[in-house]
Amino acid sequence: MLDTFEILTTSGVVLWSRTYVPVGANVIDSLIRDVFIEERIVPQPDDVGQKPTYKKDGYTLKWTTAKDLGLIFVAVYQSLVHLTWIDKLLDNVRALFTGLYSEQVKEKKASTIDTQKFTPYFERQIQELEGQSDASTDVKLTPPSSSGNDSAEEKEHAPTFPLLQKPQRPLYDTSAESTPVVTPSNSRPTTPGQGHLIMAKGKPGQKLSRRDRKKVAATSAPASSGDEANVKRKGKGATKKNRVWGEFGADEEDPDVVLDYSQSDLRGDGAEQETLEEIKPETWGRKTGKGQFVLKDLDEEMDAIISEQNAKKEKSQPSSGLVGSSLGAIGGLFRNVVGGKTLTKEDLDKSLKGMEDHLLKKNVAREAAVRLCESVERDLVGLKTGSFTTIESTIRTSMEKALTKMLTPTTSLDLLRSIQTVNSTTTRPYVISIVGVNGVGKSTNLSKIAFFLLQNQHKVLIAAADTFRSGAVEQLGVHVKNLKELSKREGGSVEIFEKGYGKDAANIAADAVAFAEKNGFNVVLIDTAGRRHNDARLMSNLEKFAKLAKPDKIFMVGEALVGTDSVAQARNFNASFGPGRGLDGFVISKCDTVGDMVGTLVSMVHATSIPVVFLGVGQHYADLRGLNVGSVCRLLMS
Amino acid sequence: MAWYDEDSWLTAAFAPNIATIAVTLLLALVLPFLVHAFIYRAQSPAALPTFLLIGPSGAGKTAFLTLTECNTPANTHTSTAPLAIDALLPDAHPPSSASFRSAGDPAYERARRFLLLDTPGHGKLRRLALAQLTSAANIRAIIFVVDASSVADEAGLNDAADYLHDVLLSLQKRYTGAKTSKGPKEIPVLVAANKLDVFTALPPHVVKVSLERAITDVRKSRAKGLKDSGAALGGTDDGLDDERECLGEGGEGPFEFRQMEEVGTTVDVQGGNVLGGDGSDVDKWWAWIAEQL
Repeated sequence: MLDTFEILTTSGVVLWSRTYVPVGANVIDSLIRDVFIEERIVPQPDDVGQKPTYKKDGYTLKWTTAKDLGLIFVAVYQSLVHLTWIDKLLDNVRALFTGLYSEQVKEKKASTIDTQKFTPYFERQIQELEGQSDASTDVKLTPPSSSGNDSAEEKEHAPTFPLLQKPQRPLYDTSAESTPVVTPSNSRPTTPGQGHLIMAKGKPGQKLSRRDRKKVAATSAPASSGDEANVKRKGKGATKKNRVWGEFGADEEDPDVVLDYSQSDLRGDGAEQETLEEIKPETWGRKTGKGQFVLKDLDEEMDAIISEQNAKKEKSQPSSGLVGSSLGAIGGLFRNVVGGKTLTKEDLDKSLKGMEDHLLKKNVAREAAVRLCESVERDLVGLKTGSFTTIESTIRTSMEKALTKMLTPTTSLDLLRSIQTVNSTTTRPYVISIVGVNGVGKSTNLSKIAFFLLQNQHKVLIAAADTFRSGAVEQLGVHVKNLKELSKREGGSVEIFEKGYGKDAANIAADAVAFAEKNGFNVVLIDTAGRRHNDARLMSNLEKFAKLAKPDKIFMVGEALVGTDSVAQARNFNASFGPGRGLDGFVISKCDTVGDMVGTLVSMVHATSIPVVFLGVGQHYADLRGLNVGSVCRLLMS
Repeated sequence: MAWYDEDSWLTAAFAPNIATIAVTLLLALVLPFLVHAFIYRAQSPAALPTFLLIGPSGAGKTAFLTLTECNTPANTHTSTAPLAIDALLPDAHPPSSASFRSAGDPAYERARRFLLLDTPGHGKLRRLALAQLTSAANIRAIIFVVDASSVADEAGLNDAADYLHDVLLSLQKRYTGAKTSKGPKEIPVLVAANKLDVFTALPPHVVKVSLERAITDVRKSRAKGLKDSGAALGGTDDGLDDERECLGEGGEGPFEFRQMEEVGTTVDVQGGNVLGGDGSDVDKWWAWIAEQL
């Protein structure tokens, strides 16, 4: 069953929600974080036919958005349950809600709107869709919503329970009347009487039936079916329905409904019975008279709203006729210049293609460029361009926004702070290891980082865990000698830890950490051998390495020169440290050699959503920089 | 043809021509409307004072916003877009600028109104808020909402301190970068310690001390940190001469909020809770807002 349905705005306010089983707010929060902000999970486009899903804590979330209004519709249900009608429900609810409340939502400077009246509409939708999914014979049970609407009109501020209760009350009557076929014979004893009574004065009959229903329900579920048409309707899922009403229902959500019934029954049972019998027939009669109108109203209204919304959508897509199309084209051109044009996929396609080519020229991998363009498209379709802005400039600003969002790190990347935190809490040194493909500048960037740390008075041990390439250890030795000279005045100290060639790198790393702990170094930098990212044999060593050395930070060095391969490099290295451990950041080297073609940054961040920590911008030890998102975006868009 | 000729335009303008009459009539009729439109438009944007809600994600910014608007906090989730609402100060807190007025006075009603601007607090979206800070001219004050219970642990504290440091630094830059000798208008900051009803929440004065301590750390490591890539990559020299600025008194010694007064920013710390078992308690914040209005 559906657990929760919420309608919220992009600014985070819940406009309307319906909870069947309470779900922690963190489930939807993490949906927003992962999908809308960090874009870790890329939703498939709508035309695949399925709404995108997101799984968290045993719940499945499906959502849809109304972009121009800034609304998000989220349905939450247990992953164990397979609900086929959620997509349809989301669509219908979106159409209904935008139809009913778009004016109010558009009105700015208010956070919430009064959506009390939406509840009956929603209940009706649920009933209809659940009914359809069962393909039961009598789905068209109109009364419920009628009285729901009725009551909603009568008392807007009434809590939802009365609304809920009423919809179901007439349901039993109608089903009993209209579906004698379904009604099995074992409930006969009550139904004839009920039928008569309904003809005469409905209410008591209904009451009788309910009492009866309770009785029978206690003994056996199927036997009661005559009156429990809605149970039938909703299920072969009799079990489904029962579970909700039985397990959860009895004490939590719907029970309020049931309790209400029984209360009215109890009250009616005693001395008030007579008065009830006298009064109720009228009210019931009045209700049928008015009820059918109103009820019809609600249903028609609902269908009308939905079809209107759908029609609007369709109308905006095809322009019919020769004159119409040419006029539309001219108008479109005009609007393209002046602004105020509602963007469609077709409008955007050409400009986006241009944008994609532009990004490719900037050395962004195709995959990343396509994804960025898609996210821009998702962002823009259905929006109106501002006055005097062209599609191109709209796309540009949107692309800049997307790039900034992608490159901006989620958490602080302050290396010095985290070193300080680790050192103050444990005796273990802070371990940083550097990985990467051959020849990208691992050792160079390692010594740059060492220089930066030495300037901040850290005691650094450099571990030469590249035991493979000849000259690697000696190269580090030269770096250490230079760094010693340079850091003499600054007050840092640096040593090299080496065990020669041919040994196991992971063991050397572990030994280096132990050595550093014993000798009072507070940072260990581990250099590793370069390895090809698509060689499984070489990459498998990394898992052991991560397990033995337990690095606090693993940085991957990537060249700014590399092209499309950057995506695969980042992915493979990120996945190679075993479950639960990945890269912590990228160091992009040789940025000074590429000019404005800094697309590699984007490709790598896109592939893994791991931030860029350092940029290498020259040959000197001091040529290490933090990332300035704004300037990178400017370069990419120039 | 000179202007004094028989059929010159000046002669025509004074002659009883149909065209002349028409033009004159048109001018006489349209001009009042234009003047009215001009004056009316010039006066209408009586800009409301804006209060900027800022702070890390999950601190309770949007909840406070809904509480201000409807007197009951609505359910909220993580925000992804900013939101501005027209708010009215509750009756119990008369705005300081109109405290001498009586309740029915329209000027009093006007003084009670303000704009509350909520911003998303997620790390990737903070630039939206900081952009607001540097651009919007009409910001009266900033409310930095922080979760007093998450400040108790290191990660939450660092996150909040990082953000507050950035906010205060951009306020300081705004002051020091001002062109006039008078300096820009003061923007006070309220650090609103939210969720005091939670058992693990720190009391406001502890929140203040720990934030100051954490900001000292942030400042220290920022000063030592690496330079930005902007100048190196962009080739533009505007980044080069831009000396790194330190927050408060040259970045020496421990940071205190008091140091911000020198650059026209007073920082107050007040506690409260938007949600809670026995209703919400944000009177102190409202009193603070009333003081600023």
